[in-house]
Amino acid sequence: MKKQNRVGSRLLIGLVFLFLYAPILLLIIFSFNAGDSNVVWRGFSLDWYGKLFQNRLIMESVYMTLLVSILATVISTVAGTFAAIGLFGLKRRWRNPLMTVSNIPTVNADIVTGVSLCLLFGACFMTWGRFAAWFNDVQSVVELPERLTMGFVTLLLAHIAFDIPYVILNVAPKLRQMDKNLIDAAQDLGCTWMQAFWKVILPEIKPGVVSGALIAFTMSVDDFVISYFTAGSSTSTLAMAIYGMTKKRVSPEINAVSTLLFITVLVLLILSNVLEARQEKLAERRAEMKPMPQRRPILPPVVRRPWFRRTVAGVCACSLVLVVGALAAATGSRPVVNVCSWGEYIDEDLITQFEEETGIRVNYQTAESNETLYSLLKSGGGDYDVVVPSDYMISQLIEEDMLAELDYDQIPNFSLIDPQFRNLPYDPENKYTVPYAWGTVGIIYNSTMVDEEITSWSAMFDPKYAGKVMLINNSRDALGIALKYLGYSLNTTDEGEIREAYQLLVDATDGGVYAGKIMDEVFQVMEGGNAAIATYYAGDYLTMLENNEDLRFVIPEEGSNWFVDAMCILKDARHPAEAHAWINFMASTDAALANMDYIWYGTANSEAIAQYPDYYLENYGEELDQETFDIIQTPPEVLERCEMYLVLPKETRELYKSLWIKLGV
Amino acid sequence: MSKELIRLSDCVVKFDDEIILDHLNLYINDKEFLTLLGPSGCGKTTTLRIIGGFLSPTSGDVFFDGQRCNDVPPHKRQVNTVFQKYALFPHLNVFENVAFGLRIAKVPDGEVTQRVMEMLEVVNLKGFERRPISALSGGQQQRVAIARALVNRPKVLLLDEPLGALDMRLRKDMQSELKRIQQELEITFVYVTHDQEEALAMSDTVVVMDGGLIQQIGTPEDIYNEPKNAFVADFIGESNILDGIMRADGVVEIFNRRFQCLDGGFAKDEPVDVVIRPEDVDIVPETEGQLRGTVTQVTFKGVHYDTIVDFYGFKWLIQTTDYCPVDSRIGIKIDPDGIHVMKKSAYSGMFGDYSSYSEEYDEIGDASLAPDEEGSGDEE
Amino acid sequence: MKNKLDRFAVPYVVWMAIFVVAPILLMVVYAFTTEGGGFTLANFADLGEYLPVFTRSFKLAIVATLICLLMGYPMAYLMAKEGVRFQRVAMALIMLPMWMNFLLRTYSWMSILENNGLLNQFFRAIGLLDALGVDYIPLIRTQGAVVLGMVYNYLPFMILPIYSVIVKLDSSLLEAARDLGANSFGVFRKVIFPLSLPGILSGVTMVFVPSVSTFAISRLLGGGEELMLGDLIEQQFLGGAYDPYLGAAIAMVMMVIVVVCMVVMNHFGEGEEEAVLL
Repeated sequence: MKKQNRVGSRLLIGLVFLFLYAPILLLIIFSFNAGDSNVVWRGFSLDWYGKLFQNRLIMESVYMTLLVSILATVISTVAGTFAAIGLFGLKRRWRNPLMTVSNIPTVNADIVTGVSLCLLFGACFMTWGRFAAWFNDVQSVVELPERLTMGFVTLLLAHIAFDIPYVILNVAPKLRQMDKNLIDAAQDLGCTWMQAFWKVILPEIKPGVVSGALIAFTMSVDDFVISYFTAGSSTSTLAMAIYGMTKKRVSPEINAVSTLLFITVLVLLILSNVLEARQEKLAERRAEMKPMPQRRPILPPVVRRPWFRRTVAGVCACSLVLVVGALAAATGSRPVVNVCSWGEYIDEDLITQFEEETGIRVNYQTAESNETLYSLLKSGGGDYDVVVPSDYMISQLIEEDMLAELDYDQIPNFSLIDPQFRNLPYDPENKYTVPYAWGTVGIIYNSTMVDEEITSWSAMFDPKYAGKVMLINNSRDALGIALKYLGYSLNTTDEGEIREAYQLLVDATDGGVYAGKIMDEVFQVMEGGNAAIATYYAGDYLTMLENNEDLRFVIPEEGSNWFVDAMCILKDARHPAEAHAWINFMASTDAALANMDYIWYGTANSEAIAQYPDYYLENYGEELDQETFDIIQTPPEVLERCEMYLVLPKETRELYKSLWIKLGV
Repeated sequence: MSKELIRLSDCVVKFDDEIILDHLNLYINDKEFLTLLGPSGCGKTTTLRIIGGFLSPTSGDVFFDGQRCNDVPPHKRQVNTVFQKYALFPHLNVFENVAFGLRIAKVPDGEVTQRVMEMLEVVNLKGFERRPISALSGGQQQRVAIARALVNRPKVLLLDEPLGALDMRLRKDMQSELKRIQQELEITFVYVTHDQEEALAMSDTVVVMDGGLIQQIGTPEDIYNEPKNAFVADFIGESNILDGIMRADGVVEIFNRRFQCLDGGFAKDEPVDVVIRPEDVDIVPETEGQLRGTVTQVTFKGVHYDTIVDFYGFKWLIQTTDYCPVDSRIGIKIDPDGIHVMKKSAYSGMFGDYSSYSEEYDEIGDASLAPDEEGSGDEE
Repeated sequence: MKNKLDRFAVPYVVWMAIFVVAPILLMVVYAFTTEGGGFTLANFADLGEYLPVFTRSFKLAIVATLICLLMGYPMAYLMAKEGVRFQRVAMALIMLPMWMNFLLRTYSWMSILENNGLLNQFFRAIGLLDALGVDYIPLIRTQGAVVLGMVYNYLPFMILPIYSVIVKLDSSLLEAARDLGANSFGVFRKVIFPLSLPGILSGVTMVFVPSVSTFAISRLLGGGEELMLGDLIEQQFLGGAYDPYLGAAIAMVMMVIVVVCMVVMNHFGEGEEEAVLL
């Protein structure tokens, strides 16, 4: 009877563990997969582990995660321990309310903590900016940086801020359990206050300090939300890297990282458990009343000397400082350019090539959409030099005086830009921009899941495809296709027309047409055959086609949007010279060719356009077929049906924004 | 007794406007065994902490060997303390606990070993050096605490209710052992307790405190035989305390009857408190008694009977070897030297009636009285 | 205790003022501010439009919390009855996934739940899909998937506090209850359960709060079509609809609702405890 119970209970526990561990095991198994799928097993291989160590994004973010977690843990453990002692020394009527305040970060939703810290940093930077501007005005001896952005420091501060309360929560009970007289006793026996702390208080509360440090480290490693709001764009933890990736294509190296992390933690846990068990056994033996034989020290005597320990601690601290300092120096001394572009929008070999040629380190980041980019710039999260917004967003940024005029002398390759792509409406005098790539918006569909040839935007609203359609997740494009379908201009400011388009989307949403709203996730979704129809960009279609031959692309008969993404330098860019170098490099014919071939978007470099068919033949040993080339460089007759986005007046923008949010509600 | 070692002069301690010590004046002689005796919250531990340096008086001065030492931190005083629950360091073994002060003082290793071993011998703990604290009994821990304090050769040893956690018999043993150690090492002991028996058994001088004030200072005999007020009389031993009127020197009137006594010096017809110790009362047949009353309760105590007798509504405790059944009528006789007359004080009328033995017992019946919050005693 | 301990509290009080109190005050200020910097209540007036987001978030969070409780309590209870060695291993195993970032774990679920994911492949292999006549069973990008993600990620937060309360229960209490005539179920209902309420309360808090405010889980598993509160807030700060003033207002309202819920719940919980004691 009893035994049966036990079996049943173990079974239940086992089931819960299965639930907890099945997904992790899956990651581990597929980290050894020869293919890049997380579903289909293609044989054993260690490739992903090899690739992992070459993946700069992942390696850097793992390093950043560990660095931030360890630093935050060390600092918050020390600070939290002293804070706990301080609070403990206060009278109850002070201590209780202060403890409540101290606990706020532990009970508050992470997003509230993150957002409020984001606001705090933003406000501090603004105040600093004003002060620095004034200071630089009144004197010219010291030049203070006027623009601060979120980054490693803010990330670390945020981590410390939410780690400290956990340390306090762990240390405080130990203090409370401690006989208060111990401190008096130590002083009574000749200790100064500090000696009493080291020799008596610390050994007493050590278990609390250790578990506090452990919890703090766990929280730091596991955190995503607070980091996301406080790290800014140039610093990325592993969690942020993964989040960024899940928005487009997750590279299977992530499986390898997960496995390595898991195994490391597992080994550490087993080690600590074994040590703990051994210590317990020792304590048990010691507690027995039999007179003990002389206790043989486990460690050689020198290790037990206080000076030795102090030296070790000192060496550790120094090396930590050195590592951090070296890191800061390394990143500080080398010229850097911070670039923000779109996902899957560059041949990454070009980055390496540029770095090798110029010695400038490229911090390459991506944003999800023009609107997101705008938020990043506004909230102080984006520490960029070069951005690659689309036409209408460029107009808006110019309007808001956020772009710097380019020095075209530093960009000789601008002469290669086809006149067709100069002085476009978004930058009529061409003072701010160099075109990066251009393309069209169309429908991508899976021919095996759709039994007709799609030619019209109507497919995006058709109930017969309910649950199989993916809507594009940004307001301008989503409302744009509805406007086009209705026969209106993409740039209409007529509220009635826009509301009509909105209603179309609402009806389709209510009718269950859309399975989701996605941006770069579209790669994974469409390539995996997880949806039938989606709206996305022409070049990206060609990328998907490489991985799934069943996909088709069409620019619907009602017409569509054609866009130019152009490189601009932000007004407050911190590395303008490097930024110009980058733009010039990307505008070169070689770069344009390589990039065009990689991302399948059209280029504005006239030499590259002319040379591409030969380039293709040379590289792939076959003729470039016209259909593909037409998708890259949309022919004029198709382009005629298409419209470019113009910047909308503020009221219309507000309308877009509120309608868009409402659609999600 | 020799020269004065410690003097507290006009010391006041306030916590949040609450007066803990009220203008305390006290001196302690060298090599004296002085006990601070009083109920919890009386200020005795506070006094001890001032001497130890854990607390500075709000106003007033502390002198050690003639030097003002208000601001000398504890670790610079030639004073060591044995704490209430010993405050032994759980992470160190017996040897290291005792050696702690010496190590702080950077005494050479050899001397440390020698002195610790000596001290462990003094407290009868030879052979226990390597034991962890958790493996010791209460009495052994007590000895470690004493050794740990004494090994530093302080001029004064402060003991804060050191025997409170021990059982009765062990306590008796430790009392004589402490006394022995004090005499052997010839140092001053300042001892805090609420146990009057302990105080009387060990001390050279007893200081009875209550409400932050010293009620009486004297030898144990003085304190017992000539209590200054109702509080001291009640706190030290058992006492029946009655209202009386001093009719003349040597004549006091209780319950409208005149008794012969040895005290004098009061004004004529001055109201006074009269203390009669339970063992000073002789039971006689009802007709021969100076007072007559009814037995309400008898408890056998081994050596004697605790007999509660109702005299005109006032309950007396009488300790007698004669058994008187409940409800019997008896008379009593009191010799003149059994009657102690005291001036009226703030404590008059608060003690001395034996309807119950303790005040707490009175409170138990009344649930509306909340128990004191933990920690509000004199530890703060 | 006139030690100089309290001096250590001073730097921390300053720190809290800057990094705990000031940010929240700033958030409140933002919530009442227009873009130009003037005072406004419009941010709150706009909130009415987002009522469905609030109800959806709270609904999903409550469901996830209940499921966590139903799974976590038995788990914690059964674990506490095992031997010390087993408990230690089990605790370590529960903590272990938390050392991998929760996004990794959530990401793994994506490949399980996809329309062409492992589960659907499995259903196809056993012929379930053909029997139903569908290409796939929609698992991902549903509310169910979001709840699953929440349960999966936050279950340890439910188990740990309940476990630590139950394991510390004085066994003499249980013996006393048996002595007074309670059977196993009676012991559980009258003694163990009421005494483990504090653990349940903190577990519920620790699951509910992150669930109601999540944005990564809903984004990854929910497909981003139906916004949750976290998504809505994120959109106002780093997403496609930059409006930190509105975002602050939403965050503030969410915080207030959560705090009120917690206070009410804790109050209710305390009442329970007292009732048990009397």
